[in-house]
Amino acid sequence: MAKTRHQQPLKRPNLKTRFRAYVRDHLRVLLFSLGKLYRTPFASIMTLLMIAVALALPTCLYVLLNNLQNVTNQWDDAGQITLFLDSGTSEKQIKSVKQQIANNENVEQVVYVPADIALNDFKQRSGFGDLLEGLPDNPLPPTIVVTPVNSAKKGNTLYELRNSLQKLAHVDQVQLDMQWLQRLQAISKIIQRTIFAIGVMLALSVLLVVGNSIRLDIENRRDEIEVTKLIGATDRFIRRPFLYGGLWFGLLGGVLALLLVFIVLLGIRQPTQELVSLYNSNFKLMLPSFKQSLSLILASILLGLLGSWLAVNRRISKIQPS
Amino acid sequence: MIELQNVTKRYPGNREALSHLNLTIEQGEMAFLTGPSGAGKSTLLKLIAAIEKPTRGQIFINRKNITRIPNRKIPALRRHMGVVFQDHHLLHDRNVFDNVSLPLQIAGFAQVDINRRVRAALDKVDLLDKESMMPITLSGGEQQRVGIARAVVHKPAILLADEPTGNLDPELSAEIMQLFSDFNQVGVTVLIASHDLDLIMRLQKRIIRLRDGQCIDSQSIQSAQEYEVIN
Repeated sequence: MAKTRHQQPLKRPNLKTRFRAYVRDHLRVLLFSLGKLYRTPFASIMTLLMIAVALALPTCLYVLLNNLQNVTNQWDDAGQITLFLDSGTSEKQIKSVKQQIANNENVEQVVYVPADIALNDFKQRSGFGDLLEGLPDNPLPPTIVVTPVNSAKKGNTLYELRNSLQKLAHVDQVQLDMQWLQRLQAISKIIQRTIFAIGVMLALSVLLVVGNSIRLDIENRRDEIEVTKLIGATDRFIRRPFLYGGLWFGLLGGVLALLLVFIVLLGIRQPTQELVSLYNSNFKLMLPSFKQSLSLILASILLGLLGSWLAVNRRISKIQPS
Repeated sequence: MIELQNVTKRYPGNREALSHLNLTIEQGEMAFLTGPSGAGKSTLLKLIAAIEKPTRGQIFINRKNITRIPNRKIPALRRHMGVVFQDHHLLHDRNVFDNVSLPLQIAGFAQVDINRRVRAALDKVDLLDKESMMPITLSGGEQQRVGIARAVVHKPAILLADEPTGNLDPELSAEIMQLFSDFNQVGVTVLIASHDLDLIMRLQKRIIRLRDGQCIDSQSIQSAQEYEVIN
């Protein structure tokens, strides 16, 4: 009988080699799981579209809301208080009123608008110029525009300021152009909450869509998982391609969602421009910023990873060779 | 190398697949498991590969007790083994090379070592020229040889095979068995379940006969005549 020549057992690779192999395996799996999407194009595109639509909807709403808030923020100086004085008030009296107002600590600026200037202004802005020419007297009273300090522009302080101004001599009427703005802000808060709730629900649906795709993939690869386990693969090793699959779903779905958002917003930009030009406004519909775009894609990646993790977690360890 | 002490395996609701089995397979030994279907051949292999756990008794692999091995330690155990199946269980979404390299990738070998070892294993089973082909394009015998290359690529101390020639014609079967014998020659402990008595007797190795979950006979047989005498 021939003398037995024993084979040298393979040495376990050292830590450095194993770490490099670990990194290499991550890269390999990254490409492999992308290839998997490519090999089932129809199913992949369906899943990606579902993710994209679910993410694009709340993002569009959010960007539109942002635009609305930009507009209302420009109206913050609407916190001004307009005082209409009695028509016959003399310059001297007006000066004294002005002085009294300026002494109030909640007042930032006091501007006196004489009646004739107010009329000229009104003629130019209203388009009723010709009609107003026909009036024998100036129907407008002298006006004082008071700008409160920023801290006094909200809530009770503002109302208290208004009331104290109301009590001054020669003041006929005090007008506070605040309420409609507050209503608008309250409405925009409701819209904001609603968009947030819609966003959460749709994010949940992204989780389910990704989770379901990955779960199906796992079921289809049950045999493969069993074999890999039989040759000594750890659960982590087996989990990896599925998690990367979720990452790709998230990344590609997010990019597609961003694309949809841009298409929708560019589509309504032109009509908005036409609308605001009718109001002589220089408002321009803002598209998502770079930071917002990046956040959308990152959020999408996180959702993809979380969705696949939910699908993979426990399911892989339950599959055992038989 | 492999030691079973008074091992009983009972499947839920079924009779005992193995009952009070005692068996020792020495390091570097080659042995065949045989017996009618349902005798417990597959169950025995599954217990050794920690696919199943025994109902009673103790199992030692390389003097380590694996009777109640926790799941997280199973991968490390299996990396010391090579397993060959009847239907070879190749992964059909990757080529021959990638199939064979899987155990090395799992263990974290450097790419140069992987390339070297995979080519050595493919050379051993005479499939070096098929490394970039997909398993589906190979014949049954070739697929089985790919499965064997995968089972030995990481130089395991133990090689288990469950009916490795079950689907092959006699000539191919003999080739496959010769391969196992070659691995045994370089010191690998080999345990093969097979019911192909004619074939395994020719190899003149130890034959373990199971019936109804019990070992009814276990000895080295030098010739077919001797086997007839025993029966």
